[in-house]
Amino acid sequence: MKIYTYGVIDSNSGIEDSNKGIEGAHVYNIPYRDISIAVSDLDERSQKKASSGYILKHEEVAERLMESFTVLPMRFFTIFKDKEAILSMMSEYYDSFNENLNRLRGKLEFGLKVIWSGNTIKKRIAENNTGQGQNEFLSNGSQAKNYVMQKLKKYKLDQQFKEEGHKYISIVNRFFSGFAVEEKLNILKSEGLLLTASYLVEKAKQDDFKQAFERLKKSGPNDLKYLFSGPWPPYNFINLTKSEFKKA
Amino acid sequence: MDNVMLKSKDVTLLEILDRVLEKGVVISGDIVISVADVDLVYVGLKVLLSSVETMERLRGAPFAGAGEEPT
Repeated sequence: MKIYTYGVIDSNSGIEDSNKGIEGAHVYNIPYRDISIAVSDLDERSQKKASSGYILKHEEVAERLMESFTVLPMRFFTIFKDKEAILSMMSEYYDSFNENLNRLRGKLEFGLKVIWSGNTIKKRIAENNTGQGQNEFLSNGSQAKNYVMQKLKKYKLDQQFKEEGHKYISIVNRFFSGFAVEEKLNILKSEGLLLTASYLVEKAKQDDFKQAFERLKKSGPNDLKYLFSGPWPPYNFINLTKSEFKKA
Repeated sequence: MDNVMLKSKDVTLLEILDRVLEKGVVISGDIVISVADVDLVYVGLKVLLSSVETMERLRGAPFAGAGEEPT
């Protein structure tokens, strides 16, 4: 029987979860020292049916765990061949699991995506630049020189575009920074997606954090669009390292 | 109103995918059973909901911006 894993929790007593996990299987936990991992058994033949329904179920179980424990959610579809394999993994990562559990105890993750009209902003910058450098560009007849000029122009445009992005981000981030313990900012993943941010927030401060978002919506830059989500288990704040021992 | 409901559900799924498929405790190596088909599921779902921008474009309307509570 294969075993599907949901998350590592900071307790080794049996969990009472009457709700079901993936494929309607009973969710239970396998203890290792003072921690444990929430799992459910997985039918040998069912592995090919992984779907978005499974993903929602995975997240649902992680969130239920989050209500009673500090949880380190596993990545979707992490499956072990048996209990022995799980215990071996737990011993290998025990120290790191503990460090993460301690650091993340009493904290929640919130997500923020910020969309801007990157296209329009790029066009605007390009128009401004054309006005300034046109004469110099036209007076140079050499093909090689033109090529270099084009490259330079594009480089300059990209730099200005990024600078403009950073300006907006620093304004947005100012609304949240005081309330978050840690933050992960991913800037300009694509032209239109200005910011993908995850914030780690103390449970006690989650209402303050939500209010900060309300303030951002009201008084932040009005040409941005926001997608705020959470609270989540701390997916983005798990820093895992194997315990120090040499593998053969 | 139906539109708004659908919107927040899609957005929540997208946010879940972003986390569940890529983040969390990632155990690598032969200790974990690798299931070939899962990679395809990843790709399939990511293509389906590849980015917020795409979703927004398809929808043709701005995000509500309200807090999305995953359920």
